[in-house]
Amino acid sequence: MASEKFVIPIGPQHPALKEPGHFEFNVDGEIVTDASVRLGYVHRGIEKGAETRNFVQAEYLVERICGICSHVHATAFCLGVERLAGVEAPPRAQAIRQIVAELERIHSHLLWVGVAAHEAGFDTLFMYTWRDRETVMNLLEGITGNRVNYSANVLGGVKCDIGPEQAEAIQIGLNFLEERTRHYLEVVSSDAMFLRRTRGIGVMTREDAERMGVVGPTARASGVPRDVRIDAPYLLYAEHPVELVIEEAGDLEARFKVRVRELFESYRVIRELLTALPEGELTARIPRRIKPAETISRVEAPRGELFYFIKSNGTDSAERVKVRTPTLPNMASVLALSVGHQLADVPMILAGIDPCFSCNDRMAVVKRNGDEQVWTWEQLRQYGIEYYR
Amino acid sequence: MSTLTALMALLFFPGGLIILLVGLAYEWADRKLVARFQNRIGPRWFQPLADIVKLLAKEEVVPQGVHPGLFVTLPVIALSGALTAALYVPVFGLAPSYSFSGDLIVTVYLLSLLTLCTGLAGANTLNRFSLIGATRTLTQLFSYEAPFLLALLGPALAAGSWRISTIADYGADRWLILAQPVGFVVALIGLMGKLELPPFDAPEAETEIVAGALTEYSGRGLALFRLGKGVELVVGLTLVAAFYLGGVANPIAFFAKTLALLGVLAGLQSLLARLRIDQTVGLWWRYGTILALVQFLILIVWKGLAA
Amino acid sequence: MKVMTMWRDALDGLVKSPATQRYPFVRAVAPDRLRGQLHWNPESCTGCGLCAKDCPAEAIEVIVLDKKAKRFVFRYHVDRCTFCAQCVASCRQGCLEMASDAWELAATDKDDFLVHYGAEEDVEAVLAGAPAADAPVAE
Repeated sequence: MASEKFVIPIGPQHPALKEPGHFEFNVDGEIVTDASVRLGYVHRGIEKGAETRNFVQAEYLVERICGICSHVHATAFCLGVERLAGVEAPPRAQAIRQIVAELERIHSHLLWVGVAAHEAGFDTLFMYTWRDRETVMNLLEGITGNRVNYSANVLGGVKCDIGPEQAEAIQIGLNFLEERTRHYLEVVSSDAMFLRRTRGIGVMTREDAERMGVVGPTARASGVPRDVRIDAPYLLYAEHPVELVIEEAGDLEARFKVRVRELFESYRVIRELLTALPEGELTARIPRRIKPAETISRVEAPRGELFYFIKSNGTDSAERVKVRTPTLPNMASVLALSVGHQLADVPMILAGIDPCFSCNDRMAVVKRNGDEQVWTWEQLRQYGIEYYR
Repeated sequence: MSTLTALMALLFFPGGLIILLVGLAYEWADRKLVARFQNRIGPRWFQPLADIVKLLAKEEVVPQGVHPGLFVTLPVIALSGALTAALYVPVFGLAPSYSFSGDLIVTVYLLSLLTLCTGLAGANTLNRFSLIGATRTLTQLFSYEAPFLLALLGPALAAGSWRISTIADYGADRWLILAQPVGFVVALIGLMGKLELPPFDAPEAETEIVAGALTEYSGRGLALFRLGKGVELVVGLTLVAAFYLGGVANPIAFFAKTLALLGVLAGLQSLLARLRIDQTVGLWWRYGTILALVQFLILIVWKGLAA
Repeated sequence: MKVMTMWRDALDGLVKSPATQRYPFVRAVAPDRLRGQLHWNPESCTGCGLCAKDCPAEAIEVIVLDKKAKRFVFRYHVDRCTFCAQCVASCRQGCLEMASDAWELAATDKDDFLVHYGAEEDVEAVLAGAPAADAPVAE
């Protein structure tokens, strides 16, 4: 058994993964000696779809790239298109966008704590964090009208207002959540059995983190001070900033602590915005046809830096929309970190980066020795038909 | 015993059908308690029975590359091991159907037969998840077996016999949990290891190796394994309750004590995260064995002094 | 380092009632803003068709029978709708709203998902296949 080379496939269907992705780990007994990954199971052609729809329709298409970070996708797209048109959304709309974005971050981090606890076999923490997540989903439903895929944005502003009733509901919800989050921080940092699964596992040094280019809470847990809300403030993050939440240890415990502490920052920013909500309109007028230009748009999704490149060509559709989601750079770190660890730690390490496979799948053109192939739609269809025959 | 009473005991009561149903009922109680600890509703009373009926009705898929005879017979052997073990313990507060000197060791090894069959079933297939699950099952078997047996031998030493009915009678009025608390703790935790309950469920860790050794099983084979686990739960609880909690003289005492123990087990299940297999082995061979040996030494010294 | 840090939650769980909602026997009241099925009010409609143009799911068709007499039929595909409410925002006359109580929209027959709004005779004319005054405004 000791010298036998064993390949353990995790995925595309596996209880550890919530979405399909194919990992192959070479194990020697219980120790992982090599790892590789194959993505692309959830490629839906969203970037191509955005080229054939007008800007208004494309916003809802990119919103559905991911369920848990849908609002930041829509926000990044709207910010990019507004910048192309030279229009700025009114301050009240920006404040509401920021409130919904921070509520989404709360939702995402609570979900993640539950999922990571489930990977560790700690189902009780999973059940309780998901129960408390219902509070924030009900808040979002009260504000925007839907629990997931909020569709709060329109080009030029927001669709939904936050009146005194919603503001009060948010305050009550946040009070409850803050008390629960304090309890979870205590559980995550002091429960002896849980720490045996997280302390010292998956350690990533700061040099490795910077070399591999990881983003988001995964990087901040290794001491890399990278947060788009602070480095390049958008919406109203310049007036109502968040503080950088950073840990030095770089192991799984640090990643837990960073995300739970970020929750406190979100609560604080939302409360600040609610007391200082600017008056005004909710939308600004934006032309249908956008003059030819290119722009980039960077926002901080719950998982890290989300990057959009939008190019317009004078019509009412985009010429090119390119999305780079935070899970893509973080995925390389999983492969590097899992070598040398036990097989039982691998799901935890994978969960530690908060993977979102749906966000991940983009097309890449690989140029090999100048032999570049660009296929037309018909050629692609024909290739697919031949392949599956 | 006459043949008719023997057949009744084997097939119907207290072995056989009744203990299968009681095993399912205990599995339900465990799942319901864990659900309540997690602020959920939990399954309805007939859920485990419905699971077994559904599994028995489904087709059993024999995967490629297995030894088909072994694949089909291992679940049967596992269940029969558990059912035979039930004949020697005082289930439902009644005297065991069969009893002879030394049946404590036989019972414990019959319970281990179930775990061994699970491990063999996992090693029988080509599926990588089953192979890792089988390795972990057998590793865990080697680690908790010694402390668990030592913890059960504590009351045996106090009673001066290897026969379960004698030990149970000896413990009838003496609550040995007070005299041997360390032994009780080791026995209870050892029971969790034997039953592969969290935190010792690394052999069937859902998020790492799908279903462990039983990944390839479906239909009848899986139903038999699950029934065996239910019976093992009842037998294990009976042993610990009979030895440490003042015996099980009548059915009311039996149900009260075993359900109380089940409540403690459910609580521990929901409050502890899963341990890695190497951490399990380390825990047992370091603390479990030492504690059990210490308890044993104290007993021997005390007995020597008293004599 | 503590052990069993969630013991208080576990004990509370025993005495409190479960957090699960026993749907469909118990049904929570939906908030006012819930985006349920779309309703069209023909009073102020000018037939501009922006709602159909901006719908990301092509769930709306505005069939113009007579623009001057304001005879429109609003064809709505419930199964294509993503309930994003962009149509509500695009309409400058405020003809559209999403109901907050019609959210249990499952059906066993695909025909139930095609909804026509408008005056009765107009809807009958459309269903019978009458040609429109202009071409339908959206695909």
